[in-house]
Amino acid sequence: MTDKTNAESGETTHFGFETVNKNQKESLVRGVFDSVASRYDVMNDLMSAGIHRLWKRFTIELSAVRPGQTVLDIAGGTGDLAAKFSHLVGDDGKVLLADINDSMLKVGRDRLLDSGAVGNLHMVQCDAQMLPFPDASIDCITIAFGLRNVTDKDMALRSMERILKPGGRLLVLEFSKPVNPVLEKIYDTYSFRILPMMGQLIANDADSYRYLAESIRKHPDQETLLGMMEDAGLVNCEYHNMTGGIVAVHRGIKA
Amino acid sequence: MNTDHDPAVITAVLMAAEGAINRSLELDPASARDLADLSGTVLAVECWAPALEVFAIVEADGRLHLTSYSEQPCNVRVRGGLSDFLTLATAEDPAVTLINSDLEIIGNSAPLIALQTIVAKMQPDWEAPLVEVLGDVAGHQLANLLRQIFRWGQTSSQSLRRQLSEFILEEGRLSPPAAELEYFYQEIDTLVLKVDRLESRLKRLAHRVDSQIQ
Repeated sequence: MTDKTNAESGETTHFGFETVNKNQKESLVRGVFDSVASRYDVMNDLMSAGIHRLWKRFTIELSAVRPGQTVLDIAGGTGDLAAKFSHLVGDDGKVLLADINDSMLKVGRDRLLDSGAVGNLHMVQCDAQMLPFPDASIDCITIAFGLRNVTDKDMALRSMERILKPGGRLLVLEFSKPVNPVLEKIYDTYSFRILPMMGQLIANDADSYRYLAESIRKHPDQETLLGMMEDAGLVNCEYHNMTGGIVAVHRGIKA
Repeated sequence: MNTDHDPAVITAVLMAAEGAINRSLELDPASARDLADLSGTVLAVECWAPALEVFAIVEADGRLHLTSYSEQPCNVRVRGGLSDFLTLATAEDPAVTLINSDLEIIGNSAPLIALQTIVAKMQPDWEAPLVEVLGDVAGHQLANLLRQIFRWGQTSSQSLRRQLSEFILEEGRLSPPAAELEYFYQEIDTLVLKVDRLESRLKRLAHRVDSQIQ
């Protein structure tokens, strides 16, 4: 569905806890990430106490990427996953770092160049809902902490399924629903009270970090996302809860 | 193998262990070279209690990669309990320990023994990072001090183990010596055999008495 049709039909979606017109969400999300791009990695380390590195490492392990393969890292942001994949696929492979946000992509590009990860890495600015790649052309797709910002998640999952090679795998690393009610309570307090405060102190931007917390709550839980992946045509879908379900990594295979 | 452990926790432990091993290998180039000869080797360690599966993959540059998930074919898979693995890890002769332990080995055991031998023989040069940070003089002095403390610790622990063993076996007579225990087991075995023979003789006798009465 096009933006024009969305606007005409008045279809709505969520932007954090706010309800907005579907065609507005993209620019609102862009605003958030333009604002946080320069301090994104520092904030990730602070907000998760460095645990995001463990979540990402396990995701890379589940990808089982081999030398010579083509990997697409959607919403790759500052390129931490792409850098690891670049090493794994080697000179004969290819890593595509994709992000809809120009600011994040620039930060990622600079960081990867500085770390010497070049040669098999390519940057693409694109929308996850309409991936500009041929059918069955990618061995592995990862999207880490990006799917919840996509306006139409079903459309994005279908788009990913389309470009995966048969046997290729999609990995979705995303915040999810804690499995323990006590942990959920602590997590809620942290997300809605401490997180915006940290955002204000470190990035001078409480609103963006409040959006991050709200968008996490609006994101589908483990089982719902699993169903969405199956609906998109992926098979053998499964998920692994991490840190008590605060984060989950979902994996699906293209039939 | 599915485990109930949080992947983030396992990943943290493995990352820490991998970092420590690879840092030690950086300080011991000879071991790193030996390890590089095993490049591409995938060793799977499957522990029953606690339920855990870990893969050790030797990379081309002589570094070790530890992971809880791998789809690469394994050269060797070792299964067992935690205590068996701890015994193997600290064994002076890993080949003998492997044969005598309850560990189950699937695949080629040669790379496993080679890997254990490399780890056991590792002698990291702890002076290098100290000199890097503190300079030649202070770094060397501190390294000497640490070496002396380490040597003293080793000697003391060996001596303590020997004296404790002597006290328990000889002076306190709290536990019998291994030879005495072995002799005792042999006597039990002989007694079991004699009882078995006596039982069969009695059965035969009872059978003969029964047949004479009839």
